[in-house]
Amino acid sequence: MTYDEFKDKIFKLAKEKGFEAQISYSKNYEFSLRLANGQMDEYKDANNSSISLKVLKDGKIGSASTSIFDNPERLLEEAITNYEIIDSNEENLFYDGSGEYLNIQSYYGEYEKLSVKEKMEKLNKMFEVASKDENIMMVPMTVYGHQTTEVSMANTLGLDKTYKGDGGYAYLSVVAKDQSPRSGFWYGLAPKPENLDIEKISEMAVKEAVSKIGSKSVKSGKYRVILRSDEFASLLSTMLIPMISAENAQKNMSPLKNKLGEKIASEVLKIKDVPYYEGSLSNASFDSEGVPTKEKTIIENGEFKTFLYNLKTAKKEGKASTGNASGRGIAPINLLVEPGEKSFDELLKELNNGIIITSLEGLHSGANPISGEFSLGAQGLKIENGEIVCGVEQITISGNFLEMMKKVEQVGNDMWISFGGTITPSVIISEIDIAGNE
Amino acid sequence: MLSKELVHEIIATVLKYGGDFAEVFVEKRYTNTFEMKNGDLENASSGNSFGVGIRGFLNTQAVYAYTNDLSRESLLNVAKRVGEALGEIKIKDLTLNLTKEEFENKHIVLLYPEDISKKKKVDIMKRAYHSAKNYSDLIKQVLVRYWEYNQKILVANSEGVFAEDNRVRTRLMISAVAEHNGVMETGFYGPGAGMGFEFFDRIDVEEAGKLAARTATKMVKADPAPAGKLPVVIANEFGGVIFHEAVGHALEATSVAKGASVFAGKLGQKVAAECVSAVDDGTIPNAWGSTNIDDEGTPTRRNLLIEKGVLKGYMIDKLGGRRMNMEPTGSARRQDYTFAPTSRMTNTFILPGDSYPEEIIANTEYGLYAKRMGGGSVNPATGEFNFAVNEGYLIENGKITKPVRGATLIGKGYEIIQKIDMVGNDIARGQGMCGSISGSIPADVGQPTIRVSEIIVGGRNK
Repeated sequence: MTYDEFKDKIFKLAKEKGFEAQISYSKNYEFSLRLANGQMDEYKDANNSSISLKVLKDGKIGSASTSIFDNPERLLEEAITNYEIIDSNEENLFYDGSGEYLNIQSYYGEYEKLSVKEKMEKLNKMFEVASKDENIMMVPMTVYGHQTTEVSMANTLGLDKTYKGDGGYAYLSVVAKDQSPRSGFWYGLAPKPENLDIEKISEMAVKEAVSKIGSKSVKSGKYRVILRSDEFASLLSTMLIPMISAENAQKNMSPLKNKLGEKIASEVLKIKDVPYYEGSLSNASFDSEGVPTKEKTIIENGEFKTFLYNLKTAKKEGKASTGNASGRGIAPINLLVEPGEKSFDELLKELNNGIIITSLEGLHSGANPISGEFSLGAQGLKIENGEIVCGVEQITISGNFLEMMKKVEQVGNDMWISFGGTITPSVIISEIDIAGNE
Repeated sequence: MLSKELVHEIIATVLKYGGDFAEVFVEKRYTNTFEMKNGDLENASSGNSFGVGIRGFLNTQAVYAYTNDLSRESLLNVAKRVGEALGEIKIKDLTLNLTKEEFENKHIVLLYPEDISKKKKVDIMKRAYHSAKNYSDLIKQVLVRYWEYNQKILVANSEGVFAEDNRVRTRLMISAVAEHNGVMETGFYGPGAGMGFEFFDRIDVEEAGKLAARTATKMVKADPAPAGKLPVVIANEFGGVIFHEAVGHALEATSVAKGASVFAGKLGQKVAAECVSAVDDGTIPNAWGSTNIDDEGTPTRRNLLIEKGVLKGYMIDKLGGRRMNMEPTGSARRQDYTFAPTSRMTNTFILPGDSYPEEIIANTEYGLYAKRMGGGSVNPATGEFNFAVNEGYLIENGKITKPVRGATLIGKGYEIIQKIDMVGNDIARGQGMCGSISGSIPADVGQPTIRVSEIIVGGRNK
């Protein structure tokens, strides 16, 4: 059965039973090459597709998905039995596909044009660059890969939209010799292979590991720190994204509830949600409910401007969706922290004495976006008189995320783009709690 | 699933084009996920998936492909691509005798998820919700999630393996949010098992709700944990996450075979304190991390990892075994057919010692009592780990005193296991999801109450 036949059948049957229906059909292609110490560890070449269905009646939704396309009746039945057990009074709705959609390019097709041999050469180059450094004793993992995603969304209200996107990535982990082994990890991503600088990615991983040689812990205390762009991005993804979800605020699960219009962060912070950012792999012209995406300011001069909404949470407050429905709930398309003027090196001079945090560990368990509290394993570099003096290991940083956001002194211009589309520069934080071995 | 003839043809096709080993993994899965917020069932979703993974080896190189286009033409085309990618060695005339492996099913399921009405499942969720919500006026929000699946697998390879297994998993997850003077804190409890709906006759659903609520209400009124190096007593059950992260991952062939583990080349050496013995046991009937066979068709077993402080064994999959020149240990696992399998933990725990937990507390003058642990992570190459303490208390003069929140424990695995100085007799296991290169899989962690003489606690400075 073709997808169109499957869809038409479901829509017709759903209508007969008094339901609206929405289908999203996704097709994914994944290719990756992985080396272990320079030897082929995994060559992956894969196709996958699935259909997910939502049925809607009286504001209630039931969902079901399948990767077997031969039985539309069964899929519909499954969604309806789920609809029947919903007892929430919340009003869900579908979008009809009206309004202006931005014209955003997210598919380039450049990776698919590369031969396996060309990809292998890039991967081997990454390995060579990393392993030629005399401090490096092992390169346990080197990966080069790309993926293509195509999603077609349609519903009985008239929505009919297709998204196609692709992008590639490269990452590696290296181990440097020391009294105890020191690891380095770095990754990069780009919509086109010509922008994926594999040599630089390897060099960064090496630099990361080598800078840790001779690392020591520090005395417990309060320190002024630089939170490097990639780590600031990770912390924002874990903490700020759930906090600005209207759903979490409405459900009493965000410390930002009732804080609209208040100063929640330092004056120097301006944070936006943008549908397009050059180099990001998260760009999109519509969200997971088919609603058009648009740019919006979330924090300006430290003031909290808006929550992000999907259809349901917007309806509850008599507002329009902000186009931020995501598979996981509500999320920005690209969360962008506007850059400041200083380069990373200038921030380093500004810091003068303190610690650069270059790695945060345990974000999935040690950072709680409901309480706002975090306590995380960390590594970094000790700075004295504006110069890096040694590596720092075996420390934790902890605090309350919102209090930390008020302590952001300076914002750099060294923009980092993460996998999930969080785009940030490095920041100086005036004071943070660090625990060490004394 | 797939016919034996087609499976045979796929394996033969891979080897015709290249490689010295071929494997087919077929997976059919039915899943239900329900989510309840504040007592109302808000989301209910069911999924059916069916896919095939095809893998080939040439010496120690591996190629993996998957698809959910299950036509013969598509599968043979994928098999050809796998073979071509391996190249070089070609086995043209394959004599393959696929004999169906018969084994005793150790994990009897009484009530299959698909045979139980969805309404009954929602009733269980409501009971957990009410129990958590009514625990205290401080509880402002309760999130209850229900997750079950029935996974049928078929695995066959060019060594003649042809085996099928059926894995049923059922889990209830309760998150409670407490609020006090504008401060919010959370508590979590998530019991699960390799059982069907009969699981809810074996556990106390109300008690599970209360445990989540207890953590939230205790922590919302707690002061921040102290910062610095302290003795830490870690409670039993989910406390075992410390061994799982700090040591377990570094004993998987995934890191050992590459030499990227602090425990590589240390078999037979003393790596831990004498009071530490630990196993990984995938055979425990109906446990969260158990299966009859692993995802390569090797029967699971009880693997001794550490005995009285001496390193006794690793967890090994086929590819890791080729690299290490050692036999697989029934430890190959994967999230689903979209991942190639690799060596992973099943149910991993520290064996009981002879101290009573009360005795361990009474012997500790000042320290942290980690009553409920959260998740953690590790870098196996350096041994550096971290975990969150979800519910912590101070120990002062041998007594548990005030609650403290926001503690994280960090250290290096190989150092910490030498610093375990007391092991209790109250062993218990807890359930978690473990993430690694072959995806997210159910795994039990476990231990009796233990004490670590010193560990860095990430808290606040005075």
